[in-house]
Amino acid sequence: MKRLFTGWSWIPWLTYGAAAGLSVALVLIAGGSPAASARALIESSVLSAPALGESLSRLTGILFSALAAVLAFRGGVLNIGIEGQFLMGGIAAAAIGPMTGLGAASMPLALLASALAGALACLPAAWLSESRGVPPVLSTILLNLVFAAAVTWAVRGPLRDPAGDYPQSRPIPDEQAISTMVPGTRITPAPFLALAAAAGLAVFLWKTSPGLKLRAAGDSPLAAKSAGLSDVKIRTWVFLGSGGLAGLGGGLEVLSVTRRLYDPFATGTGYSGIAAALLGATDPLGAILSSFFLAALGAGSRAMEREAGVPAAIATIIPALAVLAVLTHRAWRERGQ
Amino acid sequence: MPGILETTLLLSVPLLLAAAGELVLERSGSLQIGMEGTMLTGAFVAFAIVHAGKSPGAGLWGAVAAGLLSGALFALFAIVLRADPILTGTAWNLLAAGSTAFGYELIAGKTGAVLELPSLPVVVMGLPWAGLAAFAFPVILHIFFSRTRPGLVLGAAGETPMAVRAQGYSVAGVRSLASLFSGALSGAGGAVLTLSISHTFVEGLTAGRGFLALGIVVFARWRPLALLPATLLVAGATALQYRLQAGGSTQIPYAVFIALPSLLSLAALAVATSRRGAPKALGTPAP
Repeated sequence: MKRLFTGWSWIPWLTYGAAAGLSVALVLIAGGSPAASARALIESSVLSAPALGESLSRLTGILFSALAAVLAFRGGVLNIGIEGQFLMGGIAAAAIGPMTGLGAASMPLALLASALAGALACLPAAWLSESRGVPPVLSTILLNLVFAAAVTWAVRGPLRDPAGDYPQSRPIPDEQAISTMVPGTRITPAPFLALAAAAGLAVFLWKTSPGLKLRAAGDSPLAAKSAGLSDVKIRTWVFLGSGGLAGLGGGLEVLSVTRRLYDPFATGTGYSGIAAALLGATDPLGAILSSFFLAALGAGSRAMEREAGVPAAIATIIPALAVLAVLTHRAWRERGQ
Repeated sequence: MPGILETTLLLSVPLLLAAAGELVLERSGSLQIGMEGTMLTGAFVAFAIVHAGKSPGAGLWGAVAAGLLSGALFALFAIVLRADPILTGTAWNLLAAGSTAFGYELIAGKTGAVLELPSLPVVVMGLPWAGLAAFAFPVILHIFFSRTRPGLVLGAAGETPMAVRAQGYSVAGVRSLASLFSGALSGAGGAVLTLSISHTFVEGLTAGRGFLALGIVVFARWRPLALLPATLLVAGATALQYRLQAGGSTQIPYAVFIALPSLLSLAALAVATSRRGAPKALGTPAP
């Protein structure tokens, strides 16, 4: 019997099987045909240029959030506040255009501001963590609520579009927005920027000396400290970098997808990013695959609902089940060590 | 329109139930950030049961059962299998958000119509009996932690788990029981939200209340009796916000009130000179 539980173990694979089985069961419970659902899902997420555009438009926010999570988790910072940092990036991007009146030149400025806003949004949590010993988990969750309230305030107050009845920001004019590259689709340069950021983060983490130090500090803070690395400095930079990536994601969401800020805005994107990071083995390149999977699932689920009668919310359930399977797998692997 | 005091008391109930449950779990050394998901699950199950023609009381107990199951799932993954509790909680929030939206659409369709539900019977001051129980929990828990042996063991599991193990108790067992309790209370909190406050269910009904309850536990510095003033302050701010909104007053932006509870909790964290009050073994795996 003992051999069954040591070495290559079948237990984790059982959890992946259970996650897949449950997903199919949900389709059946909803009265849908698994084959028809899968067909609708694939057709409306990757099989045509407009479908691919829809998936790619969803990829930007998720991938930037996932990269924010990868950087934070690799550096040993449990940043659960990506959701809020993403929102602050969105606010910054929606504010810069109308405020500066620079026209087309405001776009890069808006991106810079959104990254900066996301990084600044981490400062309270970083400070509480390093000088007050408050776990970042608690402070970032609370800050998520504060930043969601900031969106509520911004779209009703300073950023409100006076032309409309709804509390939302003014639309981003074409020349300041990131527009489509392929007419008739939603394919913009934004998702490719996210892919480039993923490649950049991979190089940084695996091929540079600061990346090595960061991973060392994340893997074992004590060892890193005794090797003469400043763990506080590293963790603070990791926090700021993670927030910057999340903020950039929020800014690109406003500039390339929604063209406005409204309330609630892109709910759950930050949390989906955390899921994508875990599904992608906390690796920037893995995060590309998992984020695309989540984005395609989100894009295809609407068609699945229309054509197979399966509620689109299944696009949130499947990644959550998969994450639970991955967490079990990881826990099992660490138990063996 | 009920008075501001009644509104405050009623809005306190879900927060108080969830915060009391989470306080017990955190004092045992575990940390579940997925109460938002558990509350949402309780809220949905209560809706589904009452919508199917059963009584609001049955809806409440169904939500408690769903909460117990949620607590058991968290215990299985985060305590027994030792998966990361924070990430398990994050996944649980996503799973609950997705599943309740999925279930709601299967039951209610895509009509967008609001399905009004009957309320839990009111006992006193606009509160159902579950509401009265909610106000009793801080006192009961205070006695539990300071005067009873199980309470001392549970608290010790969060401070010095090795010592608890040396005494022959299973730390994972203690924390799992705490997780069941916490789940049941969060589920009940969700049911009260559906049945006595909103009188219906919508996607994402809890709107961050589970996270707020987490903040309230911190704000109360992990002391059961302090849950009462902390919750009343938070609920009072929300009730005041409703009142100002209904009165059309725009003197204070209502976002300030939404942010106020979290800001208060953050301020409480910033002012404290150390993590005094937080269980020393909070979030560490059971030995």
